[in-house]
Amino acid sequence: MLDSTLSSFRRALIFCAALLVFSAPDIPAQANSPVPPAPLLPTREVIDGFGRTVRVPVNPSRIISLAPSLTETVYALGVEDRLVGDTDYCDYPPEAQKKHKVGGVINPNLEEIAALHPDLVLLTKEGNLLETIRALDTLGVPTYATDARTVDQIISSVQKLADVLNVPAAGTALTNDLEQRLAALQTRLSAVPPRRVLFIVWPDPLMSVGKNTFVADAIRRAGAVSIVDSNQDWPQVSLEEVARRQPDYLVFAASHTGSPGNDFETLAKRPGWQILDAIRNRRFAVANDAIIRPAPRIVSVIEDLARQLHPEVFPQPPEVEKPAPPAAAPTPAPASTPRQSKAAASHRAAYPPESSCAL
Amino acid sequence: MSTPSRTPTPNPSSEQPRGNPDVRLSVEQASYVYAPNPSQAPLFTLEALSFQAKPGEIVAILGPNASGKSTLLKLISGALAPLSGRVFLNGFPTHTLPPIIRAQHIALVQQESRLLFPSRVWEFVLQGRHAHGRGLRFETEDDVTIAKNALAQVGALELADRWMDKISGGEKQRVILARALSQQPLLLLLDEPTLHLDIGAQVDLLESLRRLAAENKYTVVVVTHELNLTGEYADQVVLLQKGKCLRVGPPATVFQKDLLEHVFQAPLSVEMTSLGRPRVILFDK
Amino acid sequence: MRPLTLGRLLLRCGILALILFVVVVIALKLGAVQVSLYGLGRDLIRVLLHQSSAISTDYGMIVVDIRLPRILLAVVVGASLSVAGTSFQALLRNPLADPYVLGISSGAAVGSIVALMVENQLAISPEFAGLITPFGAFLGAAVTIAAVYFLGRREGQIDSTTLLLGGIITASFLSAIIMFLMSTLAGGNLRGASYWMMGSLSSLPPRSLLYFLGIGFLVAAGAIYTTASDLNLLLAGEKEAMHLGVDVPRVQIVVYLAASILTGLAVSVSGAIGYVGLLVPHAMRMIFGSDHRMLLPASALGGAIALVIADTLARTVVAPSELPVGAVTALVGAPFFIYLLRKRLA
Repeated sequence: MLDSTLSSFRRALIFCAALLVFSAPDIPAQANSPVPPAPLLPTREVIDGFGRTVRVPVNPSRIISLAPSLTETVYALGVEDRLVGDTDYCDYPPEAQKKHKVGGVINPNLEEIAALHPDLVLLTKEGNLLETIRALDTLGVPTYATDARTVDQIISSVQKLADVLNVPAAGTALTNDLEQRLAALQTRLSAVPPRRVLFIVWPDPLMSVGKNTFVADAIRRAGAVSIVDSNQDWPQVSLEEVARRQPDYLVFAASHTGSPGNDFETLAKRPGWQILDAIRNRRFAVANDAIIRPAPRIVSVIEDLARQLHPEVFPQPPEVEKPAPPAAAPTPAPASTPRQSKAAASHRAAYPPESSCAL
Repeated sequence: MSTPSRTPTPNPSSEQPRGNPDVRLSVEQASYVYAPNPSQAPLFTLEALSFQAKPGEIVAILGPNASGKSTLLKLISGALAPLSGRVFLNGFPTHTLPPIIRAQHIALVQQESRLLFPSRVWEFVLQGRHAHGRGLRFETEDDVTIAKNALAQVGALELADRWMDKISGGEKQRVILARALSQQPLLLLLDEPTLHLDIGAQVDLLESLRRLAAENKYTVVVVTHELNLTGEYADQVVLLQKGKCLRVGPPATVFQKDLLEHVFQAPLSVEMTSLGRPRVILFDK
Repeated sequence: MRPLTLGRLLLRCGILALILFVVVVIALKLGAVQVSLYGLGRDLIRVLLHQSSAISTDYGMIVVDIRLPRILLAVVVGASLSVAGTSFQALLRNPLADPYVLGISSGAAVGSIVALMVENQLAISPEFAGLITPFGAFLGAAVTIAAVYFLGRREGQIDSTTLLLGGIITASFLSAIIMFLMSTLAGGNLRGASYWMMGSLSSLPPRSLLYFLGIGFLVAAGAIYTTASDLNLLLAGEKEAMHLGVDVPRVQIVVYLAASILTGLAVSVSGAIGYVGLLVPHAMRMIFGSDHRMLLPASALGGAIALVIADTLARTVVAPSELPVGAVTALVGAPFFIYLLRKRLA
């Protein structure tokens, strides 16, 4: 019986081998057909967020961003005129919405990308799919991926990205600004103990953030600590467990488009939530939804959150604060060119510290 | 339609044909034990029995329920291997033949056929020709002719283009028989063919079997518990009860009042017709 | 009374192949980026004449590098799933059988998740990177195929009911494992896994993989086709088929292995695209009848046509975004399934 089984397969194999020899068309291999064709730009090798050594143009002039955080960073570095395409979800700053859209973050349209003839495509390790990178490799399009698990890594990846985009000085200016603001905040918050908070990504099922995410790190920088201690990125937690730990504050990530149900009033009415002190005492903070984007704006969000959680160390009322933060007002780096200081200043103007949505 | 009188193609590993060339079917001390769980007592035992059948004969395997009739039929068809003894068809042991060779010589008529997807009558009957084909091939003119003849022989030629699920039970029975005939077998086996038929249809069927056996020299083996049909149509009767063969022979010798009453546990009497066939009358104390 | 002849078979297959060709050409033309018919024709001819290096237009790149491999993938996957579905419906004697009923897609999903985890931990050289996930998925499928085979035997040979039950149980068990893995594993790029499981043809596999799939399809489908007449008889029941001359154990093993391999190959590359393997066989049966000598090639061609159409819709309806192709097949497939049900009852 085994023999006759094998003979069926064998017969079929011989038949199709003959068929294939005569019919395989010549589909070009990757090396013959890069997108775009011809002119050879000078390139260099860099190491990206995946640890890959990638070959990118020295001066990329047609950039596509496949993540909203990267689009924001490109604008913050002042090189948005070189951005030829971004995703449907790239909505900040508002001008980014006018760029040519190439699809979603996890399902970008390869044809649109190819038709734009990019010389560099930017991706993130945590937001984009490995598959997308592989497909772009097959097409011969240079890719660069960032990776940021902490706030420090966000800042350093901004610097690395600035290097790749050939605007290192703008990157330095921006990162210095961000670091100085964080240092100032740190000083201010050093006197007070951190607040214990629950960051609510979604109420039902109740989901929070894990300790290895940059969101958790951002919360730490804002003078708080997340009561959820999980290795998963988006762990599901039980209300009982939260009640046992009784956070001081609840923190929501607000969205401009509105997340129905994910605000304090709705949650307070849900059965069982009254068990939390934070609900009864109306202790909550709303962070701008930029908190879940690993972009420069996160520093502003951290400042705003710190202000909500520790009003006692910020004596001035928020409305007066425009645009420079109090006390430690950073000046642009002395050796910067006019363009770079303009970049840093325009960044601060576009991203005022308290850029939360009015509720 | 030509008389099929071929012998089976020899199995490379088989023994030499044995026995009397007049005898087509020879059951020699065949027995079977059904024991699904080897460590427990067997559920059913068919004790060794023997009989022979010639071309053109109708043999009835008769007995009440659970007497081993279906098991014996399976042994004859080669679907089961006898625990001891052998079943020979024209001298070759049925169980050792490969399925396709078996199907060229033995046809089994089931009571009904469950069809998963609807098919036409002619498609169904052509299935009987599969055994005579080779691998992947398409039916030839000969195959079509044989199938048509088979339908004609059971009087169902006009049903050829109808759908199988749209014909009546009796018509379906005839079509199933036609499929078996298109296999051009030497041995025709039927398992309780009269079970779902009304009396007229039962008589029709047995008349057809008698005619076919005579014309085409089939050896027909019918499993049944119908006493009077057996008495009227069978040339030989194998009487079974609880796995034991109590008697083998022509109906006149097997249909004894005491024996039948013992086997069927019902009061009855037996009388002979003018043609020498026994007739059983029930409830006759 | 007209039995199937070779001539009639080739004629019908020829018509279906022609329809497939037209559909492929239309699919090559449609997409997020506009392509002219003239340019398309010229570039395709260049490809066939082995002059692809002469294709210099940008849109030529899009057609040849992005669309053509994707469409070819849809052809092979659609054909594989449909042939597998037809085979399982015959093997299990169940009109509701589809290629995934025996748990192969769940096994492949587990394999792909494990492969993704491995990929995240190790640094893989680029030429192998594209092959880790499909390989892992196929390995998962292979293990499931073996396990279900051993579960599905009764008295030493395959019994269709036992096989079906064993497969369903294995599928449920593996789905539970997937849910467990997805909810407890830390970080990683596992989001890709859940998107993959919805079924997608957008992964741009390496050329070598496409050729491998094509050969695998021809070998496995060819093996099944050698049992086509036996399958016709197997529909009536295992005992009946045996009495009509079918070597039932041999046919069951060949069909089970070959159909499972077809499914495993398709799922490894494109995830679990639903409804194609279930409905294309029924549609072809309605048109051509249940003779497997006609039905098997018709299902292959019909499945290729259906999936190319579904994939083209998936990537054009909400351009530049894409719908998962599994969603399109479900949206179109479910109403069609209801229509089939009603027709059967009528």
